[in-house]
Amino acid sequence: MPQNSTISKLLSTTPQLWQGHRANHAQRTLPTGHVRLDARLPGGGWPLGAITELICAKPGLGEFSLLFPTLTNISKQGQWIIMIDPPWIPYPASLHGHGLLLEQLLLVRTHQEKESLWACEQALSGGQSGAVLAWPERISFTRLRRLQLAAENSGKVAFLFRPENALDAASPAALRLQLEAGGQRGTRINVLKCRGSRPVEPAWIPRPYAQAHTRPIPNPQAPGALTQPVAGTTTSRGQRTISHLSV
Amino acid sequence: MQKSTSTPCWLGIRLPHLALDLLTRGQARNGLPIAVSESIKRRELIIDCNPAALSVGVKAGMPATAALGLVDTLQVVERDTGAEQRALQRLAAWCYQYSNQVSIPADRNGLFLEAGASERLFGRPQTLGNRLGRELGQLGYHAMTGSAATPEAAWLAAYEGLHIYSAGHIRQQIGPLPLGRLQLDAAQQLALERMGFRQVRDLLRLPRKALTRRFGPTVADYLDRVLGIQADPRTLYQPPETFASRMDLPAEITTSQALLFPLKRLVEELCGVLRGGDTAAQSLQIVLGHEDHEDTLLELGLQSPTQAQARLMTVLRERLERLRLPRPVREIRLEAPQLLQFSAGQHSLFMDTTTEHKQGIEQLVERLQARLGRESVTGITGVEDHRPEYSWRPRTLDEQADCTALAHRPSWLLPKPKRCTIEDYEILAGPERIESGWWDGRDCRRDYFIVRDTHGSTLWAFHEYKPRRGWYLHGIFA
Repeated sequence: MPQNSTISKLLSTTPQLWQGHRANHAQRTLPTGHVRLDARLPGGGWPLGAITELICAKPGLGEFSLLFPTLTNISKQGQWIIMIDPPWIPYPASLHGHGLLLEQLLLVRTHQEKESLWACEQALSGGQSGAVLAWPERISFTRLRRLQLAAENSGKVAFLFRPENALDAASPAALRLQLEAGGQRGTRINVLKCRGSRPVEPAWIPRPYAQAHTRPIPNPQAPGALTQPVAGTTTSRGQRTISHLSV
Repeated sequence: MQKSTSTPCWLGIRLPHLALDLLTRGQARNGLPIAVSESIKRRELIIDCNPAALSVGVKAGMPATAALGLVDTLQVVERDTGAEQRALQRLAAWCYQYSNQVSIPADRNGLFLEAGASERLFGRPQTLGNRLGRELGQLGYHAMTGSAATPEAAWLAAYEGLHIYSAGHIRQQIGPLPLGRLQLDAAQQLALERMGFRQVRDLLRLPRKALTRRFGPTVADYLDRVLGIQADPRTLYQPPETFASRMDLPAEITTSQALLFPLKRLVEELCGVLRGGDTAAQSLQIVLGHEDHEDTLLELGLQSPTQAQARLMTVLRERLERLRLPRPVREIRLEAPQLLQFSAGQHSLFMDTTTEHKQGIEQLVERLQARLGRESVTGITGVEDHRPEYSWRPRTLDEQADCTALAHRPSWLLPKPKRCTIEDYEILAGPERIESGWWDGRDCRRDYFIVRDTHGSTLWAFHEYKPRRGWYLHGIFA
């Protein structure tokens, strides 16, 4: 039937449309670098030209190192990583240690929430590919929608790191992930929403130091106890490098 | 009447209202009556006025006091010949984009431009003349153009918008013009009138000998130069190394958005000059002059040199949006302190993606910096120091990033170490001793540990012995 063929044509050419019973693979994506996560995301990676929300109750659950493979790849291709108002200072030695090219990193600092969102929109618009990272404290649905629209016109991946209270609000983001501490198994990634398919079961990302070294808390009164090397060498300047810490 | 390309053809550009244009070109609409005056024989006379003043009866030649009596809102501004000369210099630089032979005559408000050599690029002198008239109009100048084989004949042709295609036609074409158009001094003009000469052709009919006897050689020489019998070499204009333009605003501007119109004209002028000299600007200084208040200085910096007006205006628009004017603006000065070599590589056909990314990011950085300030948009680089808080610094984008690789360190550093109690955390790894800084007075000795809190967050904490004792959080393994 002619009508049917129009529908199937539309379905195959418009990534925004998909049939409920199967995942939409027309979405342009960028591999996350984590096989188990890729397998769960529609299109097999981070959606390009769309917003990805990473919701995390507390920092330090591996929400940033999750992006290392993608960011490293982006920087090595000469594309830019733009961080807008990161709440802390990116540690150059660590980023470089994970293979990220610092030359491709741009930091934007603003003083107001409004300016921050404006900068985010500016960074997202424009045709070049690359990554935009932002940490909005509060953001309204309409603002999110504007960012989503700005992202749609570009080939960028956009990550918004959001606090836990974002869970209750609706969002136009293409992908929403929640990160939770999962004890021994590492970090649990719940897929809350993914455009192009139904949410799937959570993925687990291993974390370093899953097992704690049950070490007694050193007594600060006795500094001599701490000078015992763990598994490292003392450099000429007195800095100790610990080999088993390399991740 | 197609002219061969090699014949020289001069374009005369008359700027009859230059003094007035300099006053009014900062306004979007000529709403207020404005007139220019000059002291002639110790009397302040009106020499030019805008349509608003004309409509209420102000005329050139009337005393300034009489004009002021007609309308009390009339602004009479004294003519500033210095400003006119500077404007001519700028316009010559602007015209340089159409010809490498531009000349500024010393005795009148106008320019000469050789159009024959660039005919293939810009079309026939008539086409170029019309284009110049239009584009100068966009800059806020009233211009009249005409062309002929000699500069002086081109000047006469410009009165009527004539384009005389060959030297042989000059005599015939300028013949009907009234005598007053000739560049003669007032005494000679008067003497000729008294003798009954009315038109240029009356004078051209006289034998050279008779002319010389009556008026000395100046008039005869001048006519020879008009007709091309005598050579008329002109000192050619050389484009400058810097650009500076100034605009007076007769009506004060109170909002920063209203500054866009006059600034656009100044930027347009600058871009013409840049194209003319094959140069580009990377930084601009804009000074906004206020009455009884210190000037406002705006500095614009671009990531790479440019000639593109649109790019400069985008940055300017962002900058203006954030600007608070302390007082109304009376004048605007725009300066490009350094004109740099323009590399046409920016329009390269085969642009690789890295260049494309670089340009994209440059323009983004410009936009962001214009609004947020220069120091708000940076890169980051490592610094050789064992103390983590001193191991980084912001980096400008043309600087190389340099850093040691330490993958076992946390991805985020807290801006300042935060006091904590270690009993709340579980130690995962450590210690890593950092002892450094005895040479600069910020001596420290610390043992770093990787710890985890009850929420499952992995953090970087240290125990300090020197200079303070205690436990601190310093980073996040995010």
